[in-house]
Amino acid sequence: MKKKSISDEKLNRIIKFMVIALLGLAILLMAIQFTDLWTWIVQAIRAVIVPVALAYLISLLMFPLIRYLEQKGIGPRGFSLALVFILSLGLVFAFFYFITPIIIQEITNFFNNDFQTIIDYLTVDLRDDFIFGVEIYDRIYAYLNETNLIQNTLDEFIPSMIANLGNSLIPLVTAFAILPIMLIYYLLDYEMIGERIRSIIPKKHEKSVADLGSRLNQTVGAYLRGQLLLMLAIGTVATIVYKLIGLKYFFVFGVLVGVTNIIPYFGTILAAVPPIIYTFIASSGPGPLIVLVVNVILQFIEGNIFQPIIMAHQLSIHPLVIISSILFFGSLFGALGVIFASPIAASIRVFYNFYKERKQELNDDRLNVKKEVSHEKT
Amino acid sequence: MRKRDKEPIYSQFEIDVILFYGTMIMLLPIVLVITYVFEIDEVVNIDRFMFWVLVANFFLTAVGTLVLALRKDHLRRKVKPAYIPEFVYLLFVAGFGLLGIVVLYDYLDGNRQYIANVLSILLALLVYVLIFLGRRFFKYDYMKKQ
Repeated sequence: MKKKSISDEKLNRIIKFMVIALLGLAILLMAIQFTDLWTWIVQAIRAVIVPVALAYLISLLMFPLIRYLEQKGIGPRGFSLALVFILSLGLVFAFFYFITPIIIQEITNFFNNDFQTIIDYLTVDLRDDFIFGVEIYDRIYAYLNETNLIQNTLDEFIPSMIANLGNSLIPLVTAFAILPIMLIYYLLDYEMIGERIRSIIPKKHEKSVADLGSRLNQTVGAYLRGQLLLMLAIGTVATIVYKLIGLKYFFVFGVLVGVTNIIPYFGTILAAVPPIIYTFIASSGPGPLIVLVVNVILQFIEGNIFQPIIMAHQLSIHPLVIISSILFFGSLFGALGVIFASPIAASIRVFYNFYKERKQELNDDRLNVKKEVSHEKT
Repeated sequence: MRKRDKEPIYSQFEIDVILFYGTMIMLLPIVLVITYVFEIDEVVNIDRFMFWVLVANFFLTAVGTLVLALRKDHLRRKVKPAYIPEFVYLLFVAGFGLLGIVVLYDYLDGNRQYIANVLSILLALLVYVLIFLGRRFFKYDYMKKQ
């Protein structure tokens, strides 16, 4: 029997994939050969992408408000934009004006009153409570003293940390400095920019790309708005509950719960660790178990009541996928990658679903054409 | 057996009435949440402060009722299949209101030992009320698997 030969269509596909794979490998080879050049290009791209991405993300929060004002007849665009801009700046200013002094006050109080207690605990009380016995503690203590390990590590770590901070801080400060200007122009010509981007795309794909764009905007926008609401709610609730249970520095710990809530799963643990450690060491106030229980209950309420309703299943991604994306994007983009891992994962899912739908539509069209042809033949 | 009647459809008017009176009932507790976090009670006399908030609350309720009555016909013509953003608003008001009631209990020198008990009972009641309101008026069934 004659062996069935491969169809032209399939062969075309295989060749296409091979060409793409070869091109990918060639780009990788180039990247390896010219590392310095690529680093330079990547840095230049990052310098542009960070402020543009920030402007885009903030516009997703501000533009619905501008549109709402315009629908209510408050216009033209310049006036509604100015109103929203002043309101937003006012909120940011109020946050720094009222909240920062309280945080600074609590941190100062901590260093003045409780820091010495922690040092005393580590050097005196911990010796008696040490889980492996006093002898092992003394040996570790003696080793640390002899080798001067802590001092040496600090001497190496602090300068490198300051240098790294400087490297990552300068582009971030620059981005924040030009952000308001970019934001004004972006929001002023929001529709026109969308039209211009659409005009670059070939007519054949224009509708699909516009659909994909609106889906991405919807997903990322819903995530950002929901996340901000959740952070505010959880932070406030944590602050009040911490105060009710009599925890000292409740404001800093509460704000910490709100801020770290932006990191899914890990944020909860990060926020719970400092107050639990503090309650272990502090002589007065609630015990660590109460703080742990409060955190568990808060996260339970947030994860099972607030998040499903506010996010409306926009980000119903499996926890394993979110954790993997946090690790992946965190290693790629640092702190920003960790914060935006979830919306990036959600965007990738939007892309994937869109691709699947398009493929299904194409298959359906092909089937319909085949049916029509066979119908005509009969 | 007689088939169950169709679910009634509620207009924006009914929803606004729930949201407005819910907010007015929880206004004092919500304000107390802010005073508690920022420790305003150490600066002003909290009893006098609560009295003036209650007066403002009463005034706002009267004005709001009047506005709702005037806009009744207009709001009755607006109907949506579900009122999810409105329900989220109610959720926040109820959540902060609940915390505020606990703060009020603390301000009124309630025994701190029983705060957890008070909170648990009120939370259970509130969750029940929210589930009922969500299912009946806002067309959001939390218990139904999405």
